[in-house]
Amino acid sequence: MTFIKDFINVLSAGSISFTLLTSIFALIVYFNLLGGRIKAVGGMAFIGLGVFMLLMGIFVPPLLYLGIAYLLILFALARLGGRLWDTKVGLRLFVIGGLAFGLSMLDPNFFLIAAKPDNVPIVAMIFLLGFFTWVALRKAYLNDTQIAVGGIPWEKTESDEKLFTWPDLVYTELLCMILLTIVMIVWSVVLRAPLEEAANPTSSPNPAKAPWYFLGLQEMLVYFDPWLAGVVLPTLIIVGLMAIPYIDTNPKGNGYYSFRERKWEIGVFLYGFLVLWSFLIITGTFLRGPNWNFFGPFEFWDPNKLVPLVNVDLSELMWVKVLGTSLPKLWIIREIFGLGLIGAYLGLPPVMAAGPFRRFYNKMGAARYYVGAYLFLIMMSLPIKMVLRWLFNLKYILHIQEIFFNV
Amino acid sequence: MKPQEPIPHNYSIRRLNWIFALSSLGLLVVTGLIVGYDYIRGWKWFQLEFMRMQRERIVQEVQLASSAENKQLLANLDEQTRRNSLELAAHRDQYLSAQKAFDAMEGDHYRADQDYRFAKANLDAQRYIAEVSIVQHRSDAAQQQTEYERQTKHLADLQVRLQEVTRQRDAAKANVDQWLKKIKDAEDKRKELTASVDLLDKQLNLVDMDRFSTNWILSQPMLDFVNPVIKIDQVVLNDLSIDMNYMNVPRVDRCQTCHRAIDTPGWESKTEAARLSQELQQKLDAYDIPQEKRKETEGRIAELKRIQDAPSDILNPWRTHPKLDLFVGSASVHPLLEYGCTVCHRGQDRATEFGRAGHTPASPRMEHRWAERTMLTGGFFPLPRDFEKRNWGYEENEFVETPMYPRHYYEAGCIKCHSGQMSVDRGDDITKATQTVELYGCYACHKINNWRFSDLRKPGPDLGGIAEKTTPEWAFRWISEPHDFRSTTRMPSFFYQRNMVDPSVVPPQERAHNIKLQEAEIHAIVSYLFDKSTHRSWSPPGAGDAARGKQIVGSVGCLGCHVDTEQVKDEKTGRIRLAKREDFPLERNYGFNFTGVGTKTNAAWIYNWIKNPKAYYTDAPMPSLRLTDQEASDVTAYLLTMQKPGFMNTPIRPPDAQAVHDLAKGYLINTLSDRDAELRLRSMSGHDQLVYLGHRSIEKYGCYSCHNIKGFEGLKPVGTELTVEGSKALHLFDFGFMNDQQWKNEDGATEHVIHTVPSWVYNKLRNPRIYDDRRTKVYNDKLKMPNFHLTPEEARRIAMVVVGLTKEKVAENRMAGLDARTRFIEEGRKRVSQHNCRACHVVDGRGRAIASTIADANFFPPDLSPEGARAQSPFLFNFLKDPTVMKIRPWVSVRMPTFHFSDEETNTLVTFFAQEGQRSQFDTARNVNPTAQNVMIGKQVFTMLRCGQCHVTTPVQNPENPPVPNTAETASLAPNLTLARLRLRHDWISDWIRRPNEMIPGTRMPANFPRDAATGGFQSPLAMAIDTPQFAQYKATLLPLFKGDEKELKRTMSDAVALTDYLRDYIWSIGIIQMRTASPDGQAPSMAMPQPSLPPVAAPAAKSTRNQRGAPAAGSGPGR
Repeated sequence: MTFIKDFINVLSAGSISFTLLTSIFALIVYFNLLGGRIKAVGGMAFIGLGVFMLLMGIFVPPLLYLGIAYLLILFALARLGGRLWDTKVGLRLFVIGGLAFGLSMLDPNFFLIAAKPDNVPIVAMIFLLGFFTWVALRKAYLNDTQIAVGGIPWEKTESDEKLFTWPDLVYTELLCMILLTIVMIVWSVVLRAPLEEAANPTSSPNPAKAPWYFLGLQEMLVYFDPWLAGVVLPTLIIVGLMAIPYIDTNPKGNGYYSFRERKWEIGVFLYGFLVLWSFLIITGTFLRGPNWNFFGPFEFWDPNKLVPLVNVDLSELMWVKVLGTSLPKLWIIREIFGLGLIGAYLGLPPVMAAGPFRRFYNKMGAARYYVGAYLFLIMMSLPIKMVLRWLFNLKYILHIQEIFFNV
Repeated sequence: MKPQEPIPHNYSIRRLNWIFALSSLGLLVVTGLIVGYDYIRGWKWFQLEFMRMQRERIVQEVQLASSAENKQLLANLDEQTRRNSLELAAHRDQYLSAQKAFDAMEGDHYRADQDYRFAKANLDAQRYIAEVSIVQHRSDAAQQQTEYERQTKHLADLQVRLQEVTRQRDAAKANVDQWLKKIKDAEDKRKELTASVDLLDKQLNLVDMDRFSTNWILSQPMLDFVNPVIKIDQVVLNDLSIDMNYMNVPRVDRCQTCHRAIDTPGWESKTEAARLSQELQQKLDAYDIPQEKRKETEGRIAELKRIQDAPSDILNPWRTHPKLDLFVGSASVHPLLEYGCTVCHRGQDRATEFGRAGHTPASPRMEHRWAERTMLTGGFFPLPRDFEKRNWGYEENEFVETPMYPRHYYEAGCIKCHSGQMSVDRGDDITKATQTVELYGCYACHKINNWRFSDLRKPGPDLGGIAEKTTPEWAFRWISEPHDFRSTTRMPSFFYQRNMVDPSVVPPQERAHNIKLQEAEIHAIVSYLFDKSTHRSWSPPGAGDAARGKQIVGSVGCLGCHVDTEQVKDEKTGRIRLAKREDFPLERNYGFNFTGVGTKTNAAWIYNWIKNPKAYYTDAPMPSLRLTDQEASDVTAYLLTMQKPGFMNTPIRPPDAQAVHDLAKGYLINTLSDRDAELRLRSMSGHDQLVYLGHRSIEKYGCYSCHNIKGFEGLKPVGTELTVEGSKALHLFDFGFMNDQQWKNEDGATEHVIHTVPSWVYNKLRNPRIYDDRRTKVYNDKLKMPNFHLTPEEARRIAMVVVGLTKEKVAENRMAGLDARTRFIEEGRKRVSQHNCRACHVVDGRGRAIASTIADANFFPPDLSPEGARAQSPFLFNFLKDPTVMKIRPWVSVRMPTFHFSDEETNTLVTFFAQEGQRSQFDTARNVNPTAQNVMIGKQVFTMLRCGQCHVTTPVQNPENPPVPNTAETASLAPNLTLARLRLRHDWISDWIRRPNEMIPGTRMPANFPRDAATGGFQSPLAMAIDTPQFAQYKATLLPLFKGDEKELKRTMSDAVALTDYLRDYIWSIGIIQMRTASPDGQAPSMAMPQPSLPPVAAPAAKSTRNQRGAPAAGSGPGR
């Protein structure tokens, strides 16, 4: 039991769980929905990655866990094959998830966090999120199979039918109302209002947490300069979401679920929403304890826990560690690597437009292509920065205190 | 039209109907859940349970009230009523006609009354019309005016008629009553007899919860909102608000919701009932209770007795407050409606749930019992069955910022309002606690920013001249472990403590290393102190006689502040053991224990110190007892015999060079690089290294907080500020790994840390290093608060003060002792405490620790309780500055020391005594010149009462310097009366003569004018005596003074007040009117003081002590 708990504690560490989720995301979404050649190649690649990590785990123990998890998941997926979208399998997954959660509740530390009245809705959110994502993908899978054999989507056949407002709509709405009322009442009776002490400007609670829906943003603050994580990125998230209808002009998938016809759109959106937003909320809620330290789900939130946090800038990394000299005085020289890296990153779209992404460029036109590409790049800067932090303790790629500009 | 194709339903309607039915049912059930959840709230059960207990109590009382005797009386009354009715029936016709007449008159009266009232209303309306018509110049103004007058007259007529009718009606009524009187009388008597039972019945109705009773119906679910019987009881306190950081919100104490009987006597616990009944009985026996309340008190004692005899004890939360006369009671100084509960007890005022209200367990056992609950409801809330087992489903609520003070810390709540007072009236625990804090000098290292603990002197002696006083070897051993030298010392142990050397918590290797480092630090501190010390040379004493010295020490008053033995007889075992501080009164712990002083210091130092402590350092708390050179030499000889040679035999290892190096370097590399630090160290000699490390170590341990040390002037105290420590959040206290742990203290007691602030502080005080247990820390990061070896009781007291120091503020009008008069008094009390006046004197009814060393009460230093009303301020001022200005009771061997008070300090004390005596500070009474006639009468009375037998009236030899009685008559022990005019207040004298025993119980002054037991007035012994033959000659002398009026003479002789006034006038007339005043430095002009109890000194001593010192005396100029 302790081993399993330790295993999960290690796995849930930001660096591992995030990487795992990103890859599993690819595994599930692409291989299970697309199949064929990609599946074979990708599968081999992941097996290779898993084995590599097992080997590296000898030197870096957490990687061992990661490797094991990889191979286990790969094995499970291989066993499941396309049946992942069967109702029975889905139900089974749901039950297994519930059971795992129930068993975890027996652990006092887990119980303390998960049963906290503040966090109960987030627990529910995990299950709801999983359920609805699965439902959507299942429908897309079914439609795709239909379309592949020349059929029409299920929504199309359904939309030809006619139904009465009463009872088909209003009656069910009434039932939902009643059931929801029941849930709300039970909730309010069983869980107490999570009141804390009187607000005090001179003493902040530890950990000081944002409201749950902003915990993703707060998590970003760990990796980015406040003006980026607090101002620029949130603004771009809103702007980006508003821009989606103008960028995404793919007429396919209108009114019906389909993955094959919109794999980039759905893939990017789901990654952004599930991994970069919801997962960070879950991390922030359940895994960030006192002093914003990371705690595994079965770990006690000890306010005295100390974690070494020594981060370096890219300039220090390159000049001091790699080149073995001191930092140049002039910032433009000192930050030359950072500037170069960022320049290269931002220079990717035109290069790609000429190269492998020519198809997109032609289809979308310059304006759509560049807006979409830069939004995507900025979105991807978060996982990139996270990985860099974990791998190199990298603080800032660009650190120009002279003009308060940090990236 | 084509018939429409049937459109299929998406869902089976039948199934939907089923779902609808079930979910509706579910909704009903959860609605029931809401109601039920509200219905079983814990506080409701407490109220129901209390109602049940009340019912039981009332039923018992009804049984008591309806005794057999009462039943007989009632039966008799019933019989009487029956007979009366029969009698009335015999005269039925007369009665009926009277009743008829009365009924008719009632009708008439009603009509007349109505007519009158209607007319009055009309008149008022008419007045308005008339006035308006005049103002508006209407044409009918005159007419309306006439109408108004007419109506006025009409009303007057009606009034006359009404009065007439009323008179007739009353007559008719009297006629009827005459017939009914007997029946009514019987009924009244009956009512009187059953009144108490009726009252009880009414009370029973209030708490009735029988099925289908009104209360029961009103308490049913869904009906209980109409007019609830079970409801929340609260006190709203607007001016004792709670600071919510952004605003102050009123305090709403709901404690009474469960603590039902808190302000109702009769629900005490058995032990409290025993205590209270005993107290009341004592008061009753001493006639302390006014006549009209005696019966009530007897009833209360009977009630308390019943509680004691009851089969089961009343448990909380239904108990009465144990100190109803002080708190909560409506007649107390802290009534419930004005103070509530949480102001003192703290806790969450609005909470009605046990755990949320901030209840704090006092012990782990209590915590565990509280936390228990059945899992029937999934453990969400406790149920009545839990409550019956006294399990409250308690959970520590970390968000309650003001958890209640647990048992044993209750009086911490007093500090909030009473911090401006030296002692809290009837708050013995908190008063003792603040005294303990003052005694140990907690305020020196931990700043406590309130009046009580500011402006206090440093608790330790000045170390600027340590080399003159003792040797480095002694100092090393002393710092290592002060308690080895002196078991009662207040100097705490800094070194070789639990976190450094205790084998049970420190691994052996680390332990050896720590010992080396500790030794190095002690060596370093000693080196620094002796390096910086002055080296003045003190003149040696003359040849002294130790035996005589011992006698002097025992008689002049040294033992008021000091103790001269370390061996005491244990009261329990009867064996001789090492003394502890609590073996002696607080005041005698003020000075050090003499034991071993000869080992510690040298003859010259002792000699000069006892002659003039201020010469060694100016802030020395020790006063000068004005010892002559010979006396000082004798005392020195005696003190030198107090040796403790064994102490100096413990070996001292030289400092470990590596340890000194490592420690010093550890400090140096804070500012220097490793290489520079190394260079710096190499440039220092071994001694310099030690001195450097000493400087840093003194800084580390904060020695300078308690001692004056050169090089540390003006530094902030070393400890955490404690001003608002009681408000510090629990999570800010570092429990280390000790939470919920047991540990064994050095005195063998087992302590248990629980997760509350009081527990943390208490354990910290018991052993300040305890929270280092099992922690891995580098040497300099280890806890360093020294160990005071406090007893559990002392630790509890100090912890109580600490948790009582909160940031909670109360409105100024609720603060105790803020008025100007009290401020003067409290300032004075602070001085009294600081100078340890209570060592010798009784002040505010407490003190005189020296009494245990003096056999005869007549040789006690004076009781100062009534001092303010007694002494004149100018005298008091001079006397305090220089006690040699007047010797009042020459036979007393204990000397009033010269404290070298500043003028300001002296004024504070003089003002204090005047204010406490409720007198104006200065008056013109000294210039009162009694008439010659009064003086002559007074003189005769003086002779008649034989006052001269004890009191001397011959003037002092030399009023200037010093006024010493010129007679050798000291056996009578009565002061020379010629000193009274200078010293005593004019009106105090006569008051004193009348009632000396009431002012100072046990005084030798006889009460010549005993009080009359019946009236309380004073009786005169001369009223009868004046007519006896023995007094004939006095009578003859006195008669002319009363112009031969014998009646007037006799009247005067029986008037105690007049007689005492005559006596006062006589005493006033013989008083000297000049005395020497004190010099600015409070130094007596000459040290020569004839001491009756000691052999006279051959030659008068030199003028001042300071001239006898050697060369360094130049340092203190003549102006000192």
